[in-house]
Parts: sequence; structure tokens; C-alpha cells
Amino acid sequence: MSKQLAVIPERCSGCKICEVVCSIKHFHVTNPKKSAIRVMVVYPHPVVRMPIVCSQCRIPKCSEGCPVNAIVRRNGVVEIDRDECISCLKCLKSCPFGALYVHDDVEQPIKCDLCGGDPACVKACPKDAILFIPEHVLGQAQRLNNVLSYYHMKEIEYFDRGEKKQIRYAEIGKEEI
Amino acid sequence: MGTVKGGYFKKILKIDLSAPSWRAEPLTEEFILKYIGGRGFGAKLVWDNLKAHDFAINPLGPENLLVIAPGPFTGLYLPSSGKCSFISISPATGIYGDSNMGGVFGVELRQTGYDSVAITGRAKELSFIFIDDGDVSIIPAPDLTGKSCLEAEGLIKQRLGDHSIHLAVIGPAGENLVNFACVNSDWSRNAGRTGIGAILGSKNIKAVAVRGSKDLPVCDLDKLNEETAKAHVYLRNHKFFKFWQEQGLMCVIDYADNMGILPTYNFRDSSFSRSQAINGFVMESKYKIGDSACFGCSMACGNICLVKEGKYTGTVTEGPEYESCAMLGSNLGVDKFSAVLKANSLCDELGMDTISVGNLIGAMIEGYEQGLLTLADLDSEPIVWGDDGKIINLIEKISRREGIGDILAGGSRAVIRRWPKMASILSQVKGLEQSAYDCRAALSMALGYATCDVGAHHTRAWTVAKELEDGQNWTLEEKANLVIYHQTVRPLFDMLGVCRLPWIELGLNERHYAAFFSAVTGVDLGFEELMSRSRDIYDLTRLINVRLGISRKDDQALTRWLKDPVRTGVRAGKIVDPDDFSRILDTYYQLRNWDEEGRPDPKLEHQFG
Repeated sequence: MSKQLAVIPERCSGCKICEVVCSIKHFHVTNPKKSAIRVMVVYPHPVVRMPIVCSQCRIPKCSEGCPVNAIVRRNGVVEIDRDECISCLKCLKSCPFGALYVHDDVEQPIKCDLCGGDPACVKACPKDAILFIPEHVLGQAQRLNNVLSYYHMKEIEYFDRGEKKQIRYAEIGKEEI
Repeated sequence: MGTVKGGYFKKILKIDLSAPSWRAEPLTEEFILKYIGGRGFGAKLVWDNLKAHDFAINPLGPENLLVIAPGPFTGLYLPSSGKCSFISISPATGIYGDSNMGGVFGVELRQTGYDSVAITGRAKELSFIFIDDGDVSIIPAPDLTGKSCLEAEGLIKQRLGDHSIHLAVIGPAGENLVNFACVNSDWSRNAGRTGIGAILGSKNIKAVAVRGSKDLPVCDLDKLNEETAKAHVYLRNHKFFKFWQEQGLMCVIDYADNMGILPTYNFRDSSFSRSQAINGFVMESKYKIGDSACFGCSMACGNICLVKEGKYTGTVTEGPEYESCAMLGSNLGVDKFSAVLKANSLCDELGMDTISVGNLIGAMIEGYEQGLLTLADLDSEPIVWGDDGKIINLIEKISRREGIGDILAGGSRAVIRRWPKMASILSQVKGLEQSAYDCRAALSMALGYATCDVGAHHTRAWTVAKELEDGQNWTLEEKANLVIYHQTVRPLFDMLGVCRLPWIELGLNERHYAAFFSAVTGVDLGFEELMSRSRDIYDLTRLINVRLGISRKDDQALTRWLKDPVRTGVRAGKIVDPDDFSRILDTYYQLRNWDEEGRPDPKLEHQFG
């Protein structure tokens, strides 16, 4: 089962712990500028804090832009073949999310590799703003929300051990189109 | 490589704006291990500069030295490592002053490869300094004149063509040499106190922009990760961890109100009947739209708040935190959280310290109420408690030095010079306005304010909670010892470049920091040695202040603490007893090995070169 990183910007506090642990894990140095995840902070209108990291796209635009076909998706991870890569940095521009990075000390682009299936950023995030979830879970929240807000539903109130509760249901035979 | 194998680049950047010129100078290991970093480096460099000028320095003159100093921990993977100190001679007090900010600025500065930056001189026209990975330029920018902190930040980023640059920037208040102007970073983090913004303004420096890419040196990264993991596990499992993320320092409003230490109506009362309208729950349920943390911090005490209805709709800011909310709220009788938010956001944009602003405006309102000020003194605009429109108007006038704002911009001392009777109702020590904790019920807190090396600030000793919770029956010596312990451990955090909140609020054992130090530097100093370094720095800042004329006469309790009993609430009737105060001051001096006038042994001066 392929798993993917999912980011929840509303939870992110901008602390950059994800950046630090990423650089430690991949380069064994403390340097947020060598991380494959970066928190973009925008203010005051709008106020958004959003970690930007590779989505491991099934049809990777970074790969399409690569003149030497060094970027390939294997086992759910979009990888840069370090022997083929000529470090032209075209992938930095062709990624629609800007989720690849570059640093003077590092010859080739810096890109998320999901830490071999155990992402350090997910474990370290103190706000649970980065999740590592099966791909099929993506969109579940939206689906559930869609169901819960189905406007034909009726609502009745009842008491359960003295506590007031509500139950919602869709009436059979009263369907509308 | 020497004995210090991490934590430092062992280089300091010295900038002379008058020449203009800059150079990198090596830092010796002896210097590093004696002064540690942050405020320690700053105090030593300020001391050297004072000696070079025969102790005659105009804080707003080109000769004054401003040191910007993160610490050896800034930017590392350990709890709340985003702190950076600004150290100088304060224009508000004329003595040693420092202030620190969180955010990311200090981390980015360290990544340029310098441990600290020391700035003297004065640029010919309004400029900004750009430190770009070891390279330095001083870029004229007269077009930034009068711009708010946020506007200036945006324009500089645009000009340099890089959104990821971090800045320390001043607003119009700093340019206009308001004595409590602050330095702002990334919209909402401030080095608020002691007028550091005015010092940058006097040097014609609108901002310091930094961009760095270097690895931060760490001796034993695996060992550090191990120690950090332990600390993070402790913090995350703390029963108040989530609550801190939710409310941050705003949870202190209810605490302070219940304990009877919440400044209200210019410190006349110590609880506010309408505190429920400006507390953490109101903030969280009606205004909060996001969390905000400084670098490396899991506690995320910052709250991003938006006003969604009423006349301040659209006001968005990070904050207020406790101090700002108390000083611009209860202390001014304001019970509208939206108005507090607006005033806070204005102070951030204009670049002014909310604590000093809340004190000064509170004193104006009370002064007018008591007849110490006339209507003409107030530019014919009467102002009463809770009048948020007038308060906001006054904040703007101070930043522009317009009318009465021109006097208030000089701080407490200027107000007292103009209206000597105001001395009895202004809460300030050595020219610095009091932080947002009433101390009439806690003698140790009064002692902490009186002996704080920068003036009436809780930064060095925040003993009020401990004394009220555990120490009501303590002896004077126990109380004085608690103050000294705080004045030693709290500045140690400022030397290391980390935040003290994991320790003071969630009880993270301070001994963790000795383990961090050993892993980061490869030098196993131990906790006691680190504390001893911090204590030495307190002696040094005292020596600086003594040379600048400070003695026992300046370490005194305020008239308000001694003579105005708390009017209402759980602490009603409380005052500081003058004899107790005098005795605890004696005890304090003895415990510090200072003489009865509060002077350290002059021979100590040789220790500091």
C-alpha cells in the first residue's frame, strides 16, 4: 500500500522542527537550508503557514522536465537517480509545488524520499500538521464532510441517560432530485 | 580545533557605520567559555566599549555599541531554540540594557557564520545592513523613511528579490528615537524592551537583513539528538502541553487575576472585574485563527488573532500575549479584546514596546483623573479608563512625537521631568517601566524589579508565582535567594540563545541544558559552572551600572508599592513594607557579596579585562 505525506496547514505553527530533523536525517548536519521540507510563512493577508514537501506525484512534473530522465517513481517514491542527474535544476522550476530545493554545498537537488518509509518530520512535528497516511485515505475527510452536510437529512433530538443528543437520518421514500 | 568543538563559528562581525567598514574578528576559546554567548558576549563587549570611552557614552550617539547576539544553541534541534539578544546602553535608562526576540532571525544570523554582530557609528542616511552568508553591505534606503515594520520588511525583501530573508526592523517609533522603540522581526516577534529600536534609529539603520546557509556547528549531533528526544518526550507528555499550544501566554490572564497580580487601572488594582472579557478563552474561541511558534519550539505560545466584527474588523496580528494584553487591557481599563488586539497590532507596526506604552498611557489617565495633569497637558483631549479610541490615538501620537506624544516618547523619565508629581504614580525603576505583574503581595517580586539590571522588568526574576504559591512564610533570606536563583538561571537562557518557557512554564529540568551544552560544544562544563558564568555576567552588568552612577538609591521600592494599598480583590490592602524591603535589600547585597551601597568589589573589574 502506497503511503503519502499529507500536510494540514491550519495546524502548522511555523516552528521549522520538520526542517531541522530533515537536515539531520539526510545530511547529519543542523541546517534547515538543507531540508527537503520547508515551511512557507505568509502574512498578514492571508495568514498561512504551510510546509511544502514533495507529494510523490504519480505523474511527476519534475520528471517530465528532466532532460536526462533521472527522475523516476519507484514503489511510491519519486526518486532522483544520482548517477544520471546533471543538476541542471530544471526540476526545481517544473515542480508545480516548488517542492525541490537546492543548496551550495549539495551538488544535486534536495528532494523528499520519505526517509525510506519512516519520515522523520512526521514523528517530530509537535502539532501533528504532517501526517503519513495510506493514499486511499486522502480525500476521506472531504468525503465524510460531504456526507454529513447532505442537506436532505432530517434531525431529531433525544435524551440518552439525561444527556441531550441529536441523530440525523435520510428518509427513505422522500428522495428528491 | 581546540577544546570547543561546536556551538560556535568563533567569529564576530564588527561593523562601523561611520566609516563605513566591516571586518570579521576571531573569538578566542577563553572568551567563548567565559561569556558563553548572547547577553554574555553583549555585556562584555559593551563593557569594553564603555572603558574605551571613559564611561561617557550617549546611548543615542554614534559611539554607543549595539550587539546582536544569538547563543550557541540558537537554531539547534533542542527545545525552543529561536532566541536572539540585543545588548547596548539603553536610551531609556542610560545604563546597561538588553532585550531578546524569538522567531527565526537569530537562526538565520547564525547561519551567516558569525556568532555575534557588533555595530557602532552612524550611517549618513537611512540604510539597511545586509549580511549575506558572511558578506556584508550597507545599503542606503531613504525610501523606507516612516514605513511601518511590516511595510519595510516587504519592501526590503522585494528589493533583495528573496522572500526567505529574515529581518530585524524598526518602525517609525525607532526612527523618531522613541525611548521604548522595539525591534520587530517577521511581522510579530519583538525585542521589545530598553529602547533597542531607538538605538538602531540613532544609527540611521532601518533594518538588519540576514541570509545564511551554513551548517550550525555541533560537536556530537547524535548525543544532542538523544538528549533532545528526552526533553521533547517530557514536554509532549506534560498535562498542560496542549493547553499551552491552545492559549499560550494568554492563559496567564486568568491566573494573574485569580492570584491578584494583574495590573489594573495603572497598577492601582491587582485584579480586573472584567478580565473574563480579555482572557485566553475569549481569545481562543472568538479571535484565534492560527498557532505561531518561534524556531524549534513545540509549545507554540503565539496565537494569530483576527477581529471578525465591530469597528476593528480586519485587524490581524500575532498576539496579544499576556504582557501586552494586561498592559493594553486591564491596566488601561479596556475590556474589549478587539481593542487590545488593535492597540497591540499598532504597537507592532509602529515598533513600540507594549509594556512601556501601557504604563505611560495608564499614568496619563490616572494623572488626569487625579488632577496632576490639566486638560491642556493632554492637548485638550481628555482621556478616561477604557477609552480605546483615545488610547489608540495616543499610541500613534507617541510614535510620531506629536503634541503630548513627544513627551511620552521620552519615557517615564521625560514625563517626570515635565510633571514632577507624576513620579508618585509612574511604575518604573531606573527609567524602565514595570512589567505586568503587581508585586505588592510578593516581596521577592518587588526585590526582583528593584535589582533587575535593566530596570523594572520581569525578565531576570519572575518569582511572584513561586512566592505566592509556596513562599508566604519564607524568611527574607529565602526570598532573596530565590531572586538570585532566578537572576542567574533566567539570564543563562539568554546567554545560550534559547527560550526559558519550557523550564518556567512546563518545568523542564534546567539540568538538561548542561547536557545539551556538553553535546553541542564538547566541553562538559556542568550545570553549576554554567550558572557561575551567568552569575559573573550579573556582576559585570552591575559593575557597568555602578560605573554609570547606579547605587542603592536606585534599587528602591516605588511609592506605589509602599504607599498605595491594593484597592480591591484578593490582595486588597497589600503594600510592600518599607522596613521589610530595606532589610531584604541588605540581605540580597550580602548574598551577592556586594557592599551596603550595592557595589560589587571594584577588584572584580579586572576579571573582565
